[in-house]
Amino acid sequence: MYRVTKFAFLLLFLLLASTTNLFAETTDASDIDVTTKIGDSYYLDFGVKIYLPRILISDGVHFFPNTKAALNSGEFTDQFYIDNPDFATADLTPVTYKLVRIDGTPVTLDLSITKHFVWFLIAGFLTLFIFGRLSKKYISGIGRTSAPKGAGMNFAEVLIIYIRDEVVKANIGEKRYRQFTPYLLSCFFMILFMNLFGLAPYGITPTADVSVTAALAITTFFMVNLNGTKDYWKHIFAMPGVPVYMLPLIIVVEILGLFTKPFALAIRLFANMLSGKMLIFSMLSMIFIMAALFGTGVGLASAIIWLPFTIFIYALKVFAAFLQAYIFIMFSALFIGMAVEEHDHHEHHHAEAHPVTH
Amino acid sequence: METIFADFAHLAAGIGAGIVLIGAGFGIGMIGKGAMDATARQPEASGDIRTSMLISAGLIEGAAFFGLVICILLALK
Repeated sequence: MYRVTKFAFLLLFLLLASTTNLFAETTDASDIDVTTKIGDSYYLDFGVKIYLPRILISDGVHFFPNTKAALNSGEFTDQFYIDNPDFATADLTPVTYKLVRIDGTPVTLDLSITKHFVWFLIAGFLTLFIFGRLSKKYISGIGRTSAPKGAGMNFAEVLIIYIRDEVVKANIGEKRYRQFTPYLLSCFFMILFMNLFGLAPYGITPTADVSVTAALAITTFFMVNLNGTKDYWKHIFAMPGVPVYMLPLIIVVEILGLFTKPFALAIRLFANMLSGKMLIFSMLSMIFIMAALFGTGVGLASAIIWLPFTIFIYALKVFAAFLQAYIFIMFSALFIGMAVEEHDHHEHHHAEAHPVTH
Repeated sequence: METIFADFAHLAAGIGAGIVLIGAGFGIGMIGKGAMDATARQPEASGDIRTSMLISAGLIEGAAFFGLVICILLALK
């Protein structure tokens, strides 16, 4: 498993490195695109643009190594060149990145690899790589028979033990916590890596994209509902202790509750990560707004106020990265715990929960 | 006429975001107060109190985000 991970990781980097050499396009030094930190795009931006593969389903599957190749293939063109035919030249460059067929066939599905997806994969492989290595160490005996070695191993052990004891065991229970610890731990570290990526130069936070967090929340949704006990489903479709004429209403509410839980999970992570970015974005743009309103001197002087604020929010974002990853897995553990819980003391429990009906 | 509707949508988004923030801030403030009181009263239970504080803060935040999503949808109109 470890060898496979290492191989996949190497392959990804080779792919990235090769695309850099072949298709890199130097951007203007003056052209700083701040939105690239927030929005999704079809290229990676490391100072040079690395165009990502395009996969389009439109009357068959079309695969292109990058957007430029798609434009120059003669089958697809940028929406921009349809709207502004005067700009079309022999060597087309992508403008809006929205590809349309030249002959007018509609594009059914755009499965193109985007920046957020690539960073999502990097986080996944990084998690596999680091913790695959770590598990190898534990299997060989370091950390079990002796003290953990090295700063990384110690730090990871602190986090892992805390999550196992305080989150997973506390919410799922002594009996079945072992089954869910691997999922929740991988989730935690992957989300943590994704949250922290955005704080590095040229890094992107994929969790600031609702589709990434929705994917994570859907995984939790399946983890919860595929492991649901008979009791769990009984509480949804036939809540004990509820009068029969109330059941239709309760069932509707409970089924809605099934879907609002992962929805809130996805929105919480997404909104927290995006709002942090937007805050830094707005703080820094205040300098430019001041400069535009009152002159360059005032703008530069106001940087004395806005830069410390930005640094403060930046530090807050490091904290939020840990907190949101923690909250995500804590709620996952809570929902899983609710689903796999066994009710040993049935009557007593309901006498307590619904005092009116008794 | 359409622009007037769009303007009202933007106004509603702004006012809505403000009201959402009042509610969420009040709720999280209440939790913070409760947690601090409880920790002062029983410092040995601070770990459990922190966990339940984070859970309830997360739930309030979730409710607030539902409101904020609606505001964003209005603002993008």
